[in-house]
Amino acid sequence: MKKREKGGNGYLIKQMKDQRYLFLMMLPGLVWYILFKYLPLMGLSLAFTDYGFRSRVSFIGFENFRRLLTSHIFWNAFRNTIIISIANIVFYFPAPLIIALLVNELKNARVQKSIQFLIYIPYFFSWVVVGSIFVNLLSPSSGLVNHIIALFGGKPIYFMADTHFFRPVLITSYIWRQVGYGSVIYIASLTTVEPHLYEAATIDGAGRWGQLWHVTLPGIRSTIVTMLLLNLSHVLLIFEQVLVMYNAAVYDVADVLQTYVYREGVLSGDLGYSVAVGMFTSIITVILVFSTNRISSRFLDDPIL
Amino acid sequence: MSNKNQIKVSPGRRAFNIFNIIFLSLVCLVFIVPIWNVLITSFAKDIDVMGNDYLLIPKSFTLVNYDKVLHSGYMNAFKNSIFVAVAGTFLSMFITLPLGYALSQKHLLGRNIFMKLIVLTMLFDAGIMPFYIVVRSLGLINSIASIILPVSMSTFNLIIIKNYMSSIPETLLESAKLDGCNDLVILFRIVIPLSVSVIAAVTLFYCVSYWNRYFEVIMFINDSRKYTLQVVLRSLMFESDESLGGGNYVYGNLKMAVMVLGMLPVLIIYPFIQKHFVSGLMVGGIKG
Repeated sequence: MKKREKGGNGYLIKQMKDQRYLFLMMLPGLVWYILFKYLPLMGLSLAFTDYGFRSRVSFIGFENFRRLLTSHIFWNAFRNTIIISIANIVFYFPAPLIIALLVNELKNARVQKSIQFLIYIPYFFSWVVVGSIFVNLLSPSSGLVNHIIALFGGKPIYFMADTHFFRPVLITSYIWRQVGYGSVIYIASLTTVEPHLYEAATIDGAGRWGQLWHVTLPGIRSTIVTMLLLNLSHVLLIFEQVLVMYNAAVYDVADVLQTYVYREGVLSGDLGYSVAVGMFTSIITVILVFSTNRISSRFLDDPIL
Repeated sequence: MSNKNQIKVSPGRRAFNIFNIIFLSLVCLVFIVPIWNVLITSFAKDIDVMGNDYLLIPKSFTLVNYDKVLHSGYMNAFKNSIFVAVAGTFLSMFITLPLGYALSQKHLLGRNIFMKLIVLTMLFDAGIMPFYIVVRSLGLINSIASIILPVSMSTFNLIIIKNYMSSIPETLLESAKLDGCNDLVILFRIVIPLSVSVIAAVTLFYCVSYWNRYFEVIMFINDSRKYTLQVVLRSLMFESDESLGGGNYVYGNLKMAVMVLGMLPVLIIYPFIQKHFVSGLMVGGIKG
């Protein structure tokens, strides 16, 4: 390869000429990134305008943000988002790790592979399909769950339309769809833990728990943190799943920030305001992700971000 | 793992193994049963679904449900979905492959800046509304292009392609260059033939992601003749559900036939993408 030291503008121009095909090849992709990733980022400035209703757009400062802080629909959506997010972290986050650790204890590699193969399938289903599978499973008349409830003499529960059950249904279906993805990553990560560390731990008198605590978990901690960060970066932006599964009967407990944004913006046309609500959510997400990264970098040799 | 070939299994260990096997079997059932039910119900005769049973054992086998569905209004949505998935996947590969190749070339001018700017979009996403406003101002609303173009690139897939192409020995490309081939020729003659397996995986990822799209469709499309299968499946399953006070009653077996169509590409393609799981996922990490 030619070296850069030769320097000079002439050399740069020659190099650009040599690489004209490479630039040509990048063109469609870069145009796409500008149009659909960077233009929207610039569109965030609309949060400070009254864009949407009037033909003339005017700058209104933080008016939209003042409005959202005083809207009780916003606060309801905010509360629901936080409750669902916390439940998500508490119940979903450990699930794939536990499954991976248990699968890792199985001796038969064939069985290990089959389990991964099976539980990873739903990850490729759309939210519409996953939601439909749950509607089918939880149906008051023909669903399996209500058949089992009836077997024990209970009354059928209208899961999808019951404000007490809707959020647990959301979390359960989230786990059902996503747990395979996390498990596969953790299982792959577990194979990178050095076997001789287990031997050393055994010689030092560590039992199974000791090994888990002192060898296995430290060995995969950077995967655990990466998964936590990934999770935190999605959790407040929960949208499509709720959009598919919610209905008028459960709006009070199911309306999240993103569905609120969608209704205000796309359905009501209040664009500036809805951009502001979305921006509010994104800012909290960024703060959440970066502060977690900050805290976690103390436990890691190498920070994730 | 080597710690497993110890001589004796203690009683505590044996109890754990039994518990573990039972627990994981239950986990598997949780995944098998709902999918199995959908499949067998879609092949069941009307008489078997009238009693509101949740079928676990097939009682009958018929293709009538599929025949009915494919001769109904659902056929149009099914065709739209196929069109979007096929055209979209082609477009996606057309954009992703050359960009991935260019970024895999270490001597590319400004490579680091391009990479940073691209990875940055994974961290900072403008959100639904600015995206909607851009698509609207491009005049795409209510066109099939609106559910293809704006989502035709995935940074995740781009990085998979780029990383794979970077691993191709440079000497191969160098000798082609000495023979006077330009980068376009190298991409098509050398790099693509060497990357068949990863290209196949990414093609399938794209295909499934187009097939599964729902919210872009309802956000950008108002004309119901342009709806895709996911949209009509959603209204079939959720708006005719009796617990939601919906209207027309549709037999479960017909619903399940539509649902099987809704997951068709996944069922066909899944065994093939399966071996790329891990390789693909690990690069998808935030670091990129």
